Amino acid sequence: MLRYFIRRGFMALLVALTVSIAAFVLLNVAVDPAMAIAGEDADLLLVEQIREQYGFDRPIFIQYFDWLFRIMRGDFGESYYWNKPVGELILSHAPVTLQLALMAIFVTVIISIPLATLAALKQNSLIDRFALSTAVSAQAIPNFWLGLIMIIMFSVTWQIFPVSGDDSFVHFILPSFVLGASSVPAVMRLTRNGLLDVMTSDYIRTARSKGFGGLRLLFKHAMRNALLPVVSVLAVQLGQKLGGSVITESVFAINGLGRLALESILGGDIPTVQMLVFVFALTFVIMTLVADLLNAWLDPRLRLG
Amino acid sequence: MKIKTPIIKSVLMILMFALAAVQPVSAGKKDDTMVIAFVREILNLDYMHTTKREYIMLSDLIDETLFHVDETTFEIKPNLAISYNYSDDKTIDVVLRQDVTFHDGSKMTADDVYYTYQYVIEDKANKPHKTTVRWLESVEKTGPYSVRFRLKTTYPLALRDMARRIRIRQNGIYGTTGNYDKNNQAATLNGLGPYKVKSFDPGKELILERFDKYFEGPKGKSAIAKIKIRSIPDLGTQQAELMTGNIDWIYNVPMDVAQSMGKTGRAVHLEGPSMRIGFIPLDAGGYSGEGNPLTKVNVRRAIIHAIDRENIITNLVGGTSKVIDSACHPIQFGCTDDVRKYEYNLEKAKALIADAGYPDGFKLDLWAYREQQVSEAIASDLTKAGIKVNLRYSKLSALNKARRARQIPAYFGTWASGGTADVAAIANVHWSIDSDRNLSGDPKVTELMLGAENTKDPGERKELYSKGLQLIADQAYWVPLYAFTANYLTSKDLSFPIPLDGLPRLYKTSWK
Repeated sequence: MLRYFIRRGFMALLVALTVSIAAFVLLNVAVDPAMAIAGEDADLLLVEQIREQYGFDRPIFIQYFDWLFRIMRGDFGESYYWNKPVGELILSHAPVTLQLALMAIFVTVIISIPLATLAALKQNSLIDRFALSTAVSAQAIPNFWLGLIMIIMFSVTWQIFPVSGDDSFVHFILPSFVLGASSVPAVMRLTRNGLLDVMTSDYIRTARSKGFGGLRLLFKHAMRNALLPVVSVLAVQLGQKLGGSVITESVFAINGLGRLALESILGGDIPTVQMLVFVFALTFVIMTLVADLLNAWLDPRLRLG
Repeated sequence: MKIKTPIIKSVLMILMFALAAVQPVSAGKKDDTMVIAFVREILNLDYMHTTKREYIMLSDLIDETLFHVDETTFEIKPNLAISYNYSDDKTIDVVLRQDVTFHDGSKMTADDVYYTYQYVIEDKANKPHKTTVRWLESVEKTGPYSVRFRLKTTYPLALRDMARRIRIRQNGIYGTTGNYDKNNQAATLNGLGPYKVKSFDPGKELILERFDKYFEGPKGKSAIAKIKIRSIPDLGTQQAELMTGNIDWIYNVPMDVAQSMGKTGRAVHLEGPSMRIGFIPLDAGGYSGEGNPLTKVNVRRAIIHAIDRENIITNLVGGTSKVIDSACHPIQFGCTDDVRKYEYNLEKAKALIADAGYPDGFKLDLWAYREQQVSEAIASDLTKAGIKVNLRYSKLSALNKARRARQIPAYFGTWASGGTADVAAIANVHWSIDSDRNLSGDPKVTELMLGAENTKDPGERKELYSKGLQLIADQAYWVPLYAFTANYLTSKDLSFPIPLDGLPRLYKTSWK
């Protein structure tokens, strides 16, 4: 297990480094950082002064290593759009996105697992068809549309939940449903197929022959094994939620990392965008690593691969 | 089945907890709190370092200037100043009020005014200060409540610039010469305006409360006790908040949305004039390619004839929008429509293009960054006249970059003049000889349009603008399109005076 962990960890580190190079080079090539700081219609003299002052006139690889070493020292740079240290900005916006992502994963679980269980127990029935069509619909519906529909139904028409904001737990209910719905198809199908496989396996047949049945058989024997791969998928989904909530946060006016990313992009704030891209990618890499390790821990055969 | 009961209990408990935790938003007449929403985020409270429209509205609430632009007559009136006198064309003596208090309770004196203007002069590299330092030579304190301004040149808009641009700051607030911290007032602002900052969460929410020690100035006392400004980037979400009574005022609403929202009865749709005009500068100077078709006056005239502006307004723009014939907004000082007019005439356009040597038409890159439907309609009209239009709809930053590189033959531009009812507010930016927006390549236009800024005599200024605008129209350097309409949505309880210049004065709102 330790060798597997070292191998996967090394791969994750390589991926993170590649992403950091891509994030740095692409942004610095696409936008002139000196011009972005100076603003539109700025004097060329001022632009040149800024270029020299901030070291943008140095070769790009030197700038990259400088940036990387600063990150390793915990210095994420200064945002000239928000007039704050980037690290402070990310830390102040992260809790909101983390809460949203965790609640979204909770929504995914409470919708997909029961639905998948019913679908597996009643294979090819009306419930199964309903579950599958729900999964297809959830995958096809764009977040912004679902968000607005939820707002119209639950906030405007019935006035149960607030329309937007992130002041309290209740403000997160609609957005977490919207964000969580997009993960329902993957988790539901995986759970359903896992259950179907498990329910026809030898040990379940043996358990049945010993007199086990009903919910006890389902939850105590079948579900435990069927849910093993789902746990690792949920870890990856959590990584996606943490970095992929831009639309949901915009629709519900939630002041998290997604909105910070959007506003920073629109404001041409390269230090913040650069760091956010890196943080999002790193989060995804870490969550994928966690998923890999979970899988390997649960299924020892994977460690040999 | 044993398992069901605790699950159902838990779910019900969570739901009850959630619903019990729903906090009614403190908004509306009952709480004497006006909640407004901006699409753009408010990140900085200090208007001295920004130029965006939302910041003008905010600054009008929390800041004060020496002079005030009257909301209906656009006349410049003393504000923090009590009187002023031009000793000569280049010297203005200003006497200050003695009853003005900063939000922290300290009295405003000549030291504060001197410090503010001295800061502007020394911080001349800052983009928002460029206009001021173009004409302001120096400022000096002549008494505890009097200051003198010396101008570099005769500049008729000095009072206007003082009224619109320079917000008075407390002496020493940014630090001292050479050690200025321009972000000092970004998060907490000590202003002089009718509202003071109660709390500010950048990018999320700003709460203002009425300042009880506000002086008896031309703005008058504000009626509403609290104003909450929220950043809601999605227009659909803004509408939903308005319909649920959590927001009282939004602006910049597209016409169709505003009309349909108004019909629901849960919001009030108000429309009024905007100082913004739309136009298409044409590359008469040949910057994007020597000898390109736009360098020929008949081609430029044909382009104006080919665009059915009335039809565009009727079917796409709506509201109070009107076709303009001149390169200015009709309510601006110096604007005249006594210029050459171009009616919609497709056959005439085709004939002019053929006469110019392009019987089979020509290719044209038309750039645009907003009003996509209108841009497409314009492209369609031009195509009917035989011009093969390549509509390049892009981000404003990309358009600006291409324009700086002189790669743009024509673009759909708009300009709101910062809400200033004077042609000067549109002339300098667009007709300076070194402006990349000036595609005319005609020094005479620059001489006339900017010459009007060097004389104080209103009659002479009007005359110069008139000649300049006539030249622009005659040579078809611009396609003047239309004056925009501003659409607002308010709650039913709110009384919002529609601004004549499109710049909302939120301090004038009250409850019905």
